[in-house]
Amino acid sequence: MIQTLRKPDRIVQPCGFCGGCGHGVIQRLIAECLEELGISDRAINCVDIACCFWTLDGMDLDGIAGPHGRLPAVATGIKKTRPDDIVYIHAGDGASYTIGIAETVHICLRDVPVTMIVVNNGVFGMTGGQMSLGTTLLGQATTSTPRGRNESSNGSPGDFLQALSQFDFEFAARGALYSVKEINRTKQLIKKGFQNQMEKKGFSLIEVLSACPTNWHLSPVAANKRVEEVVAAQFPLRVYKDRGGMSDG
Amino acid sequence: MAGRKAYADVSLCKGCGLCVEACPVQAIVQTTQLNEKGYEVIQVDADKCIGCGSCYTTCPDYVYEVR
Ligand SMILES: Cc1ncc(C[n+]2csc(CCOP(=O)(O)OP(=O)(O)O)c2C)c(N)n1
Ligand code: SF4
Ligand code: SF4
Ligand code: SF4
Ligand SMILES: [Mg+2]
Repeated sequence: MIQTLRKPDRIVQPCGFCGGCGHGVIQRLIAECLEELGISDRAINCVDIACCFWTLDGMDLDGIAGPHGRLPAVATGIKKTRPDDIVYIHAGDGASYTIGIAETVHICLRDVPVTMIVVNNGVFGMTGGQMSLGTTLLGQATTSTPRGRNESSNGSPGDFLQALSQFDFEFAARGALYSVKEINRTKQLIKKGFQNQMEKKGFSLIEVLSACPTNWHLSPVAANKRVEEVVAAQFPLRVYKDRGGMSDG
Repeated sequence: MAGRKAYADVSLCKGCGLCVEACPVQAIVQTTQLNEKGYEVIQVDADKCIGCGSCYTTCPDYVYEVR
């Protein structure tokens, strides 16, 4: 039988994101994984106050928004009190690796069985494209570094996924969205994060390299090209840790 | 995949061009036609479409159904 491809039923509103934004693809990948695994009814979407916030209304799921950068703490509380629910976080790089890095470290150390999806677009998207200390690349022009990020005055970015993966938790991997192949691979990583939760395994952290065409001042096609050629060279796409064992296929 | 075709609900389209780039057989073109939200939308040439699903996978605004 020929498979029909159509948007999951749990996506109930048109996207509020800018044209070409990766958040919309990620929302669909999440909804597809939940649907295919049959866990939409017990999923709880923990959204940050940033561009991902659109998913709170956009998806017909239980959901909660929390203070910027603090969703790992919110999700930890929910998972501890509702251990059979599927709790996931949809947050940005600014929230997860800069403003809320303490909370991200704590959920890794506690190894809470939650699935965290970090959308790394290298800027504070929602507030207008300012530099994100952890992820904005050297030389990258942003609203707050208009002449390009300069090491001596702005410091350097770091590979937080790689650094965090030194801790003892379940799964850490990085995907991207710049081609059909990478989108499909990212979906498998997200699905693995949910399956780990279903199997009562530990914390899963999936980072997705994503474009913010609006704040990068690039067309969506050029922005995706930048992710492929520039960003992925700095932040390699691979599985960083997998206690249960998953080949990087 | 034989017989499967892409159908576009262009009322949702934001004219981002990602599907145009992703289609392996150039079946999607950018037009200057505006939708109700004021975006210039795409158009699919059903004769060229091979039903591969790349547009569905790529579109951030869920414009496509491939059936
Ligand atoms: C405690 C706190 N600090 C700052 C803000 C303002 N703020 C809202 S979203 C945001 C940055 C968003 O960047 P990111 O987390 O990377 O998400 P994106 O919008 O890029 O997806 C900031 C600084 C806030 N809402 N709360
Ligand atoms: S500002 Fe950037 S991250 Fe936010 S919706 Fe627009 S393109 Fe997406
Ligand atoms: S299904 Fe494939 S061939 Fe048809 S329009 Fe979409 S990308 Fe092009
Ligand atoms: S990817 Fe979607 S929103 Fe972008 S031009 Fe194609 S149909 Fe329109
Ligand atoms: Mg960001």
